[in-house]
Amino acid sequence: MQQAVALAGRVADPTDRLGIEARRDLAVTSGLSREGVELALAQHLEVAISDADLASLLDAVDLAPCCHVILAANVCTAALRAIALAFAASLAVTIRPSRRDPGIALILARELGIALTDTIAAAPGDALHVYGSDATIAEVRATTAEGVIVHGHGTGLGIAIVGADADLDASAQMLAADVIPFDQRGCLSPRFALVEGSEDRAAAFARALHAALLDLGERVPRGPLDEDTLAAIALHGAALDAVGERFVGPQHVVGLDPTPRALLLPPAARVVQVVPASAEAAGRLLGPWARFLTTVGGSGRGALLDAVSALAPEARRAALGRMQRPPLDGPVDRRGPGKQS
Amino acid sequence: MRPPRSAKCSPRADVRLAAVTSPSPSATESNALHARVQAFLRAAMVDPARTPEPFDALALALARFQAAQIPATARLARARGIDLATATRAADVPAVPCDVFRLTRVAAHPPGEDVAVFRTSGTSRGREARGEHAFRTTATYELGARLWAERLLWPDAARLRSIVLASPLAEHPDSSLGFMLDRFAALLGGGSFHLRDGALDLGGVVEAAASARAANEPVLVLATSFALVHLLDARHGLDLRLPPGSRVMQTGGFKGRSREVAPDELRAAVSEAFAVPESQVIGEYGMTELSSQLYETTLAAALGKWPANEARHGVYAAPPWVRVTAVDPVTLSPLPDGAVGIARLVDLANVDSAVAIQTADRVRVLPGSAGNHSIELLGRAPGAPPRGCSIATDDMLGPP
Repeated sequence: MQQAVALAGRVADPTDRLGIEARRDLAVTSGLSREGVELALAQHLEVAISDADLASLLDAVDLAPCCHVILAANVCTAALRAIALAFAASLAVTIRPSRRDPGIALILARELGIALTDTIAAAPGDALHVYGSDATIAEVRATTAEGVIVHGHGTGLGIAIVGADADLDASAQMLAADVIPFDQRGCLSPRFALVEGSEDRAAAFARALHAALLDLGERVPRGPLDEDTLAAIALHGAALDAVGERFVGPQHVVGLDPTPRALLLPPAARVVQVVPASAEAAGRLLGPWARFLTTVGGSGRGALLDAVSALAPEARRAALGRMQRPPLDGPVDRRGPGKQS
Repeated sequence: MRPPRSAKCSPRADVRLAAVTSPSPSATESNALHARVQAFLRAAMVDPARTPEPFDALALALARFQAAQIPATARLARARGIDLATATRAADVPAVPCDVFRLTRVAAHPPGEDVAVFRTSGTSRGREARGEHAFRTTATYELGARLWAERLLWPDAARLRSIVLASPLAEHPDSSLGFMLDRFAALLGGGSFHLRDGALDLGGVVEAAASARAANEPVLVLATSFALVHLLDARHGLDLRLPPGSRVMQTGGFKGRSREVAPDELRAAVSEAFAVPESQVIGEYGMTELSSQLYETTLAAALGKWPANEARHGVYAAPPWVRVTAVDPVTLSPLPDGAVGIARLVDLANVDSAVAIQTADRVRVLPGSAGNHSIELLGRAPGAPPRGCSIATDDMLGPP
C-alpha cells in the first residue's frame, strides 16, 4: 500500500521518470488538455495516506484469495485508489485496464508487478471490483462465475450546495476548482449547483461561477470535445434558452433555471446547472437523483445542505473546492451495494 | 397465478372538452386556431396542395399565439433573435427541445383548463421530472390521429377487430399512447386490452385470436414493442394466427421492460406468430410532445394505397400537417433533404403547446411524392458519450 502511494508521488512529480512518462501517455489517451493532465497529476493524485485513512481503507474491503479489478476510462488518476483497495483485499491482484484510456494504470501495474490481463478469470471466493457505468457492471455480473464476489463502483455525480450564509464569489471560485479537474467526467464531479435562497441569488451565483470558470479555464483549458458531446451541449443549451439563461464561455457553460420544476442533467464537459432551491424543494428536485449522488459539496450552512445530506446519507461530504480530493480512505463511491449496480 | 382478465376499451368520457364556464383570455384565439388547423387537416387529406391556407402561414400563426402565451416559447425566440411578427417561414419558428416539457409548463392555457395531461415515461425520475403535454381539447389530436390512421392503418376501410397489447387507458390515463390506442379501438368498434398491471394476458390474446379466426374477421393488433416480446417469449406454441387481412402496429422502445430485440427480428417473429405478412407489421413513431403520428407505409403499399417505391420498413411517413427537417446536431441549423441530422418537427396539431419540437432522434428526411415528408429513423443521438463512472442521461432511464 505504502509502495503504491510512494509511486503515486513519483507520478505526480513532473521531473521524475514516471511523472514524465505519465504526462506523455495521458496527453494522448486521457482527452484532457496538457494543463488538465498536469492538474490531475499534480493536484488530484493521492500522494500521502494517514494512519487513520489507511485503517479505514483496510476496513472497507474483505480479504479474498485473489482480487481482480476492471478499470474504467474516466478519471486518469483513479487507478491508484482501485489498486490500493485491491491490495487491501489480497496480495494477488490482476487488473484489466481500459484499452482506450488506461490512465496511469499501466505505469502503476508495471512498477508494482501487478499482472495485467484482457480476460478476468475469477474463481469462487475471489473479489472482483468493477469500475464503470451501471450497464457495464450489470453485464460483468451476468457473465461472472457463481461465487465470485462482485463489487460494482457505478455511475454517479456530485452536487454542490451553496448555503444561505455562503459568500457567493468565494463559493463560485471553489466550485470552479471542483468542475475543472478531469473536465467534469468523474463520478464526484459536480453537475448541479443548488443555491439556497432567491432566484436573484442563484442568478448572482451563476454569474460568479461563469467568471470563475472563465478565469480558471484560461489556465486549464478543456480537452477537445467530440461531436457527440458538442451535440449534447447544443441541445442542453437550447433547453436552457427556453427555461432560463445560460452563460457560455470558451471552456464551459453555466446554465440557470430560475424556477426549476426538475433538474436537467448537463453534459459532463464543464457544464453546470445552477438553480435556486430551498430545503422544502430539495426532495422534489433531487428525488430522482439521490441514488446517484456520490458526494455533496457545500459552502456555508443552511437547511438546504442538511436536507440534501439527509437525502443522500451515504454520499461523501466535502467543502466546495475539495470535492475532487477525497482522502484515500476507501472507495471513492461510498453508496451501499443496494444502490449500486 | 391466473392471468388477469382482458379489459374492454375504456370509456371516452374520462377525457372531456374544455370547460367553458370561465375560459382564459386565450381560449377564443385557441378555439379559432383549432378550427383553422382542423380545416387544414381535412383538406390536406384530400389534396395537400389545396389547403385553406399555406402550411407556413398557419405554423407561424400558431407560433405567434404560443409565444404570446408561453414564456418558454417567447424566451426561446428571443434567445434565437427571431422576430415571429415578421417571420415568413415555418422553418423560422424556434423549436422547443423535448426536455423543456420536463422543465416547465408548455401550454397556452392555465392548468385549470386542462382536459388531458400526457406524461412521458421514465419511472425512475418521479412524476415531477416527467415531461408533460397539456391539452385544453383533444379534438384536433383525435382528428389528426384518425385521419392518418385511416390512410396508413386501415386504408382499405376493412372491418377490423382490434387486439391491444397495451394497458387500458384507465390504468395509465396520462399516457398519450394509451389515449391513441383507446381511440383507435373505439373507432374500430371496441377491442380488448391484454396488459393489466404490467402483466400480459396471454390467455385473452389466444381467445381473441381464436374468436377472430372463427368469425373470419381480420384484426388490427395494436402493441407496444415490449409487450410483443413478452408475448413471443410466453406463447410456447399457442395458436395466435389471425385471419387474412390482419395487421399489426407496433410502437415504442423497450426501456428495460423486456429484452431488446432488433426491429427485423421482432417483425419476423411477429409475422410468424400472427400469420400476417411482414409488410403488414408496421411501426409507429410518436412521442408525448407531439399530437401527430408517423407510420411505416408498407401496409398501405401492399394494399395499393401508397407508392410502393417509397415504402420500406424503417421509413416513417408524416401526415401533410407535419413537416420534418433534419438539423445539424451541433448548430441546430437545417440540413438538406437526404442528410442525416436530428429531427425537428413542425406539427400543426400542437395548437396549445409547441408547434415546433426539437428531438434528439437521428433521421434522414426523404421527401415523398404524396406531398408529405418521410423519415428514415436512425436511432437516438448518443448524447455526450458516457465515460466510466460519470453519469449520463440514459442511466436515468432504467428502472430504479
